[in-house]
Amino acid sequence: MDSLHFSLIAEPVFSIGSFVVTNAMILGSMSIVTMLAVLFYAANSVGAGKYNRFIGLMQWCIEGFLGQAEEIIGDKKIARKVFPLAITMFFAVIVSYWFKILPGVGSITVGDVPIFRALPADLNFTFALAIIAIIASQVYAVQKHGFFGNVGRFFRNPFKDPIGAFEGILEFVGEFSRLVAMSFRLFGNAFAGEILLLITAILAGAFAVAALPLVMAFELFVGFIQAYVFFVLTLIFTSLALQTHGDHDPSHDHSPADTSKKATAAE
Amino acid sequence: MDFTTQLTVLAATASGSDEGVFAALGIDWKMLIGQALAFLVLVWILGKFVYPKFVNIIDERQEKIDASVKAAENAEQNAEIAQAEVAELLKEARKEAKDIVATAKNEAIALIDSSDEKAKVRADKIVADAQEKLDKDVIAARKALHNDTIDLVAMATEKIIGNVSDAKLDKKIVETAIKEAR
Repeated sequence: MDSLHFSLIAEPVFSIGSFVVTNAMILGSMSIVTMLAVLFYAANSVGAGKYNRFIGLMQWCIEGFLGQAEEIIGDKKIARKVFPLAITMFFAVIVSYWFKILPGVGSITVGDVPIFRALPADLNFTFALAIIAIIASQVYAVQKHGFFGNVGRFFRNPFKDPIGAFEGILEFVGEFSRLVAMSFRLFGNAFAGEILLLITAILAGAFAVAALPLVMAFELFVGFIQAYVFFVLTLIFTSLALQTHGDHDPSHDHSPADTSKKATAAE
Repeated sequence: MDFTTQLTVLAATASGSDEGVFAALGIDWKMLIGQALAFLVLVWILGKFVYPKFVNIIDERQEKIDASVKAAENAEQNAEIAQAEVAELLKEARKEAKDIVATAKNEAIALIDSSDEKAKVRADKIVADAQEKLDKDVIAARKALHNDTIDLVAMATEKIIGNVSDAKLDKKIVETAIKEAR
């Protein structure tokens, strides 16, 4: 048996001119096209009033997600603006994630390179999604607070409000940590899932027929969870970005001077 | 490059330049931007052609539900109003019935009273009439008796005295005699 080959990065399979096509792109394109086909089919059926169990399920899902988006964001108008982005993230992640349990993924190779790789197992994709989610939340924040209002969430005068200023810096760093956490979480799960599937297939040997479906079912579950996490986090980041400092209790003040005054008054 | 080698490279580059870390993780900025743009196009297409259909259906259904709830509330309110009206009408009807009964009772009492009065008046009249007739009869009887007495006395006197005087004289004497006798 050859030694196991896992690549952390999506590997190029072929190139068209200078454009390199990676294995993640191939399976990713297939999954996105499938997703588009399914969604257009569902939307057209709903538009025509034709229902079956699948269409019902799709509608139930979208209705549930829309309700959740409105609940998380609070403002119905903004929730409806963010919703297409968040729900597309959900569908893109879940479909591309689920595509990796298809037979042939990881096992069909050209030379040493597998020609199919799940799209979320390519950090470019997860990073791109996370960047879009963070930038979108900032765009909505700028729309609500104005450019300087939004900057003011991160940078405050340390002489007037030292704790607030520190909090702002933490917030600023937090934006980047969210970006990294979001992208690496999805990437890590997808990549580990691929390895898990391959290792199960090899270790179980003849019992792979019995063992693999269990791991595949688990992967489907993980795919759903990851997609859902991406959906919810996109909404939560937007919701957090829309909050103003003044949303807190106005009596709540960060100034230590005020705090000591209150403490004295309490005594 | 196998997994172990890559991890080594990653560890080596982590302390080096940022470009090295990203490259070790397979991040190719051109590809990343390309994928991000492709994803945004996907969001735009789905947001334009797919989601509105679902959202419209959801909104329509929500509107229908809201309208139904409102209609149900209205119906309930109307039922309450109707019930209150019925109760009011019943109350009025009862009051009216009571009034009617009271009026009827009063009228009956008045009628009985007036009947009693009329009967009394009529009875009095009958008694009065009877009295009057009796008086008249008594007078008439007295007159007849008077005349009869005169005639009788005249006849008796005539028989006693004989046919001396004429009738006119007789009568005059008799009348005078009677007056004196009284």
